Amino acid sequence: MALLEVENLQTHFRTPSGVNRAVDGVSFHVNEGETLAIVGESGCGKSVTSMSLMRLIPEPPGRIAGSIRFAGRDLLQLSDREMRAIRGNDISMIFQEPMTSLNPVLTVGRQIRETLMIHQGLDKQKAEAHAIEMLTLVGIPEPKRRVREYPHQLSGGMRQRVMIAIALACNPKLLIADEPTTALDVTIQAQILKLMLDLKHRVGAAIILITHDLGVVAEIAERVMVMYAGRKVEEAPVAELFRSPRHPYTQGLLGAVPRLGSSLTGTARRLAEIPGQVPDLRKPITGCVFAGRCALATDLCRQYAPGLEEKGPRHVAACHYAAKGAIAA
Amino acid sequence: MLSYILRRIVATLPVMAIVALFVFSLLYIAPGDPAVVIAGDQASPEDVERIRQSLGLNRPFLVQFGSWVWRILHGDLGTSIFTNLPVSAMIGQRLGPTLSLMIVTLLLTIVVAVPLGVVAAWKAGSLIDRVIMGFAVFGFSLPVFVVGYMLAYVFALELEWLPVQGYTPLAQGFWPWLENLILPAIALGCVYIALVARITRAAMLEVLQQDYVRTAKAKGLGQGGILFIHALKNAAVPIVTVIGIGIALLIGGAVVTESVFAIPGLGRLTIDAILRRDYPVIQGIVLLFSFVYVLVNLMIDVVYTLVDPRIRY
Ligand SMILES: Nc1ncnc2c1ncn2[C@@H]1O[C@H](COP(=O)(O)OP(=O)(O)O)[C@@H](O)[C@H]1O
Ligand code: SF4
Ligand SMILES: [Mg+2]
Repeated sequence: MALLEVENLQTHFRTPSGVNRAVDGVSFHVNEGETLAIVGESGCGKSVTSMSLMRLIPEPPGRIAGSIRFAGRDLLQLSDREMRAIRGNDISMIFQEPMTSLNPVLTVGRQIRETLMIHQGLDKQKAEAHAIEMLTLVGIPEPKRRVREYPHQLSGGMRQRVMIAIALACNPKLLIADEPTTALDVTIQAQILKLMLDLKHRVGAAIILITHDLGVVAEIAERVMVMYAGRKVEEAPVAELFRSPRHPYTQGLLGAVPRLGSSLTGTARRLAEIPGQVPDLRKPITGCVFAGRCALATDLCRQYAPGLEEKGPRHVAACHYAAKGAIAA
Repeated sequence: MLSYILRRIVATLPVMAIVALFVFSLLYIAPGDPAVVIAGDQASPEDVERIRQSLGLNRPFLVQFGSWVWRILHGDLGTSIFTNLPVSAMIGQRLGPTLSLMIVTLLLTIVVAVPLGVVAAWKAGSLIDRVIMGFAVFGFSLPVFVVGYMLAYVFALELEWLPVQGYTPLAQGFWPWLENLILPAIALGCVYIALVARITRAAMLEVLQQDYVRTAKAKGLGQGGILFIHALKNAAVPIVTVIGIGIALLIGGAVVTESVFAIPGLGRLTIDAILRRDYPVIQGIVLLFSFVYVLVNLMIDVVYTLVDPRIRY
């Protein structure tokens, strides 16, 4: 059963130079305990999508439309109070910036305790004890000392571990990790990913993982959604997507399929570079969003936007020329 | 922490010494021969010479300064030329009202200005923000005596809610004491509130952009917790600074406010002393205010270390 069902999500920002359609009609779902990876170049709307799910988009200038059904309820219809009860409790999030995502003037312990006290009604002592357990769980040595420390006394990797501890403190049903390792050193990246892989099996939460690291995708995710210019252009189970990517954009990103286990051995593959630029999201786009950079683009592509079509088992792509079942060029 | 405070106190000694030198020089910087000035218009040359002798004004400057400092260190601020009373006793008599006025104004400012600034930053660009900032500009540009007379007219004379003027010591009850201070505190606090509200807004605007504020929201914290704990504590350093600097503003404003509301405080004493050229009194008051200011600075530095763990001591 789907834990999360996102239907036609549209998150737009009003800017002085026009409306930025950062996310424009994206639909997807995540099953209980499942890991969905979202990949795509910078600026294609991955963070905005994930923050929309938790309604963390500043409104204004942002506006979120569509529907986000989580455990049967449409999050966009909830009151602020109902939404607060979900944030950090049923759905929690790890951000891309470990150095700046923790509050510099509050102790690590306090920052973990807080969610436990808000959502589980624990008193300070119990919350503190639980915070120490969480620090142990995420592999922080000397947790009893660390709870009393401030973020500036911790390294980047340690801080991201603390963020993970905060996110998992209340046993969320859904964990959103937005490029959790991008800002870290390569060796630390591998450690954090190993931790996440480990926790995925232990905690059993569904995960939405945004990453540039295809090795990680191959290892952790069951399904992959590929985003481009605020839209979903392809989605498929991991093995299927790596074996037969249908959308020219996905093919460009993959460049070559990574070997399994590569991220833990430090030979992780990042997304390949694709020549050309992402279209301006403030201008209406007619035809295929990728046409400006696509080697296969034709007049048809430039005039009519391709819809998402079934291209294989649980595999959809939005391209006029990605024929069903055909092996892509 | 204790050793930090001690070190800071030691560090203020040179500042105090310079202040003392300046205060002492007041008499010499002022135009005219101090002895003539003190003796007054009707004095004969013999009178002037007698005053010169008795005050030791004929001794070298540094010797005079040295003995002056020595006496101050022993708690002797000298004797008023006009009343012949010890300066420390005169100041002691007037300290209560002024201290009361400043503390009430300070508390009023913190209680009013900080929440206003926080709300203005939270609702930045909205009508509420513009109304609050409009008031801040207004409050900033109104002279203390104008606000004071307006308040006294409306709330004391017309509505008769509060006394027009005067002062009641705290020993005679909390409300009688506070009642007399409300209007003066508002009048005196106007500029200060405007200043602190603006700085609070600016500091909060920057903090609210930070990633950790988003994290706090993602954890399910309410707006109050986000604004007043997670954000405000980070914005505290500039706010504390301006509150501290504002105390200097209060000292100046208190003089005017005390005149408007007939409060028998240091402000009145200062004016009287200046009009009578009662130099020992002027020196005592200036020295006291400087001391308060140095003390406030020390307190600010201590508060910094309390609100921001990254500031080392
Ligand atoms: N607060 C905001 N105001 C205006 N535009 C925004 C805001 N946040 C994000 N955007 C825009 O949304 C688009 C998608 O950004 P994002 O989701 O962060 O991309 P990424 O896929 O790299 O995570 C970008 O064009 C960005 O400029
Ligand atoms: S629809 Fe056309 S332009 Fe778009 S990706 Fe497919 S081939 Fe390229
Ligand atoms: Mg991003």
